[in-house]
Amino acid sequence: MALKDFEHDMQRCSRCSYCKWIPFENQQNMDFIKGCPSAARYNFHAYAASGKWNMSYAFLNERIDHSDAFQDAVYRCMMDGCCDVSCKTVQDIEPLQLMYELRKKFVEDGQILPEHMLTIDGLKKEDNMMQGKKVDRGKWAKGIKVKDLTKEKAKVAFHAGCRYSYDEELWPIVRGALQILIDAGVDVGIWGKDEVCCGGRAESMGFAGELTKYADHTLEALKAAGVETLVNPCSDCYQCYKVEYDKIGKKPPVEVLHITEYLHRLIQDGTIKLTKQVPLTVTYHDPCHLGRLAEPWVHWEGKEVKVMGQMICHEPPKQFRRGARGVYDIPREVIKSIPGVRLVEMYRNRESAWCCGAGGGVKDAYPEFANWTAGERIREAKAVGAKALVSACGWCRRNFMDAMEDGAARIEVYDIIELVQKAM
Amino acid sequence: MALTDIEYQALEDIVGPENISREPAILDTYDQCWGHKAVFDQKFSTRPAAVLLPGSSEECQAIVKACNRYRILFKPFSSGFEIVAFALANERGILLDLKRMDRILEIDVENMHAVVEPYVNIYRLQREAMKHGLVMGSIGAGPSGGVIAGSCCHFGGGTTMVSTGGLGRSVLGVEWVLPTGDVLSMGTAESEMGWFTADGPGPSLRGVLRGRSGSNGGSGIITKASVKLYPWYGPPDIKFTAAPGVPPSGKRISEVPPNYKAMIIMFPSQSAMFEALINIGKAEIASALMGALVFPYGEGNDEQWAVIQQMAAAGISFTQVASQGVALILGSDTQRGLEYKEKCLMEIAGQMGGGPVPIPPSDQAGLFAAAMLHFGFVTAAFRRTGDFFVSPTSDGSPDFMLNLRKNAEQMLKPYMEKGLFQQLGIPEMFVMPGENNSIGFHEENVSFYDPWDPDSLDALRDMVHKSEDPNGQFRSYGVPHLGGGLQIEWVSHVHQNFGPIYDNYDKWMRSIKGMLDPNGVGDWSAYIPAIFP
Repeated sequence: MALKDFEHDMQRCSRCSYCKWIPFENQQNMDFIKGCPSAARYNFHAYAASGKWNMSYAFLNERIDHSDAFQDAVYRCMMDGCCDVSCKTVQDIEPLQLMYELRKKFVEDGQILPEHMLTIDGLKKEDNMMQGKKVDRGKWAKGIKVKDLTKEKAKVAFHAGCRYSYDEELWPIVRGALQILIDAGVDVGIWGKDEVCCGGRAESMGFAGELTKYADHTLEALKAAGVETLVNPCSDCYQCYKVEYDKIGKKPPVEVLHITEYLHRLIQDGTIKLTKQVPLTVTYHDPCHLGRLAEPWVHWEGKEVKVMGQMICHEPPKQFRRGARGVYDIPREVIKSIPGVRLVEMYRNRESAWCCGAGGGVKDAYPEFANWTAGERIREAKAVGAKALVSACGWCRRNFMDAMEDGAARIEVYDIIELVQKAM
Repeated sequence: MALTDIEYQALEDIVGPENISREPAILDTYDQCWGHKAVFDQKFSTRPAAVLLPGSSEECQAIVKACNRYRILFKPFSSGFEIVAFALANERGILLDLKRMDRILEIDVENMHAVVEPYVNIYRLQREAMKHGLVMGSIGAGPSGGVIAGSCCHFGGGTTMVSTGGLGRSVLGVEWVLPTGDVLSMGTAESEMGWFTADGPGPSLRGVLRGRSGSNGGSGIITKASVKLYPWYGPPDIKFTAAPGVPPSGKRISEVPPNYKAMIIMFPSQSAMFEALINIGKAEIASALMGALVFPYGEGNDEQWAVIQQMAAAGISFTQVASQGVALILGSDTQRGLEYKEKCLMEIAGQMGGGPVPIPPSDQAGLFAAAMLHFGFVTAAFRRTGDFFVSPTSDGSPDFMLNLRKNAEQMLKPYMEKGLFQQLGIPEMFVMPGENNSIGFHEENVSFYDPWDPDSLDALRDMVHKSEDPNGQFRSYGVPHLGGGLQIEWVSHVHQNFGPIYDNYDKWMRSIKGMLDPNGVGDWSAYIPAIFP
């Protein structure tokens, strides 16, 4: 696809502004109805998805050129896709895919943020998004007796992801997850220092070539290790393997699961028994990449056709990804299976969840904005009476912690894995 | 024409550097909207010289004073979801995006009104009002439309008009930054007695504020407004639900609230239907009413098309429902009251040879959300073909509206038959009595066209030329609906053209404009200039 391929969609944005809100059908508490952090924080229309359509169309028509203002509006976006869900309640157009294309174009034209360049340089050199050294990647698993997938075959590959591999404060989570699998008798292995980035976050910053590169690498690594199931504690990686690889025609020939899905299976079949009381009122934050963005990719080839004279349809019919088929119930079922835990829902949940703020390269380039966004989520968690905010992604976990360091209201923050460990 | 640095600095000093921009990338997000292709032959209207985000009435006032000082054209808007929201008469014009002014200032339950700022949208106020057993009468722009924009500034109609009155009738007072920069508070607000009536002891001026079709940002800035609220017989909270995996567009209110009924009544003829509308109004029984606009909605156009094909296979005539059907909501605070209203309705329908169409409960709930809250209207307007246009349209007596409807069918049918508009058999009609018929009917005939299909676009323009030619075959249609919006449309100077036919109303409008805006700084492109250039 190229930017030009979205011209039809650009023309059809009616400026209804639905992209600024969570879907009206999902609005519950009127203090929590904004859906786009960027539009909420920066006010000018350019920061909403509709503004991106407008700027792209002006750019295509050579009315505007690259500028700081254009760049600012394009990069101050978490690529979280809430706008995509809301827009598609009234339109058959693709705001999030436009954003991918727009950023790709920016990178092609050299319109790159220095902070992103730093991250991508690190990725190219060390195969991770954390500016860590490649040799340090496997340190998180030190002392755990687990198969080395570079030497042994295993049915299950556990991919820690860049954030968990290099964020020492989060190591107990990822170590805990792996240990649960080992203790459950799962034939599991890791790549250790040879694990590489999935490429998803780089793609979201506009570096589409990195996605292809890492997809090729990953497919080979999976094949070599004889893996049947790829398990991810990181939602970003999970979404990337499941959706983004499929999007570019490199769908892994293995089952791709998030750790919550695997834990759910183990709980359901009785392998894991959650017996200890965890007396806590929690709320669950749907990570964007486990929720609306994890809806399976739908391949479609066809053409636009007119029926009833001018009604715009597709031949064959096109199924749009509208965000409702992400992974929503399984994490909640895992939480509910923990004795003593009381789960309360935030007002913006499932496909309407407010982003944690860490995505799309925002945390790299605009940490203050990332923290503000996380702070808004914490405010919502407290508004529903939760004592703890539970997520299922290392990036969310980190960003909530950083926001509190930066002055956001205090709340206990957990990954689901930690709660499961407490209950075992 | 760009602003000078001095002019720009003067404006920046008012709102701060983070709330003003003259960057082309930012500006080009303020000149694109639906309808533009038909009006400007491209998606872009005039690029503003700057965009400002004022945060208070005081800032609005200071901006307007600066505009007078430097003779800069200005235009305010709230959501901007309007065909002429951004149009400017020249490039030395600025736009005021009122997004930062988004507070619900008061919901006065006892006196049944709410005071809001410009960026409060319709759905937000509806939901807050419902908590208190109240609801507002809104324009059919859907949930994201602005309360003040719909009530004070634009032409339009809404499905609850039968019980909540025409849009401007709900305005109970405003804080109005006039084009001179002076602030006028209307009605009781002027006397600091609260915002419960617009008609005194302070000045009324409701007609001047809005007139029939609104000044579309051309006569200053409404920075606060009080709108009347009406009884809501449903629960304090409503919830949309769906099976897992169904996206929000497929969600429905789980059921019609117990104190409401959602129905479609079919009549043997269109004249019988109009007669029934009159009698339903007289009986004061309907909470919402529209004839008929009953088009099925799916998650997307492809799903919608599948539903239409299924309907056709089942022998359901959409054309007949659209032509002779009335969708309506009955509501009461008691079950007895509801039963009475239903009995009344059946009596009226029976007299006209009509009767209810069986609707499954889930569709009743969908109809309820559409009729009471305008869910589905944005989809209806924009997703099907890309755009819509409303013409001919008018307000008037039931007989006039029936004639208008017949003429509209005659006019629009050829375009449909050729496939240049969506082929619905007959045009969709949006007709409803206002305030139980005491203020006549409001009617809009809708064409769905594709602005990016040259033939469809040409057809739309051809139709509008015929429909809105004051000397043409259909001059009895009345003044075109977008009023001042047509100053910049392909039918230029519409008020000048129609004025002589209708008591020289254009001269009155121009006098008012001249009085309120002696320096001509309030953008007139969607209203009227004191003197035509």
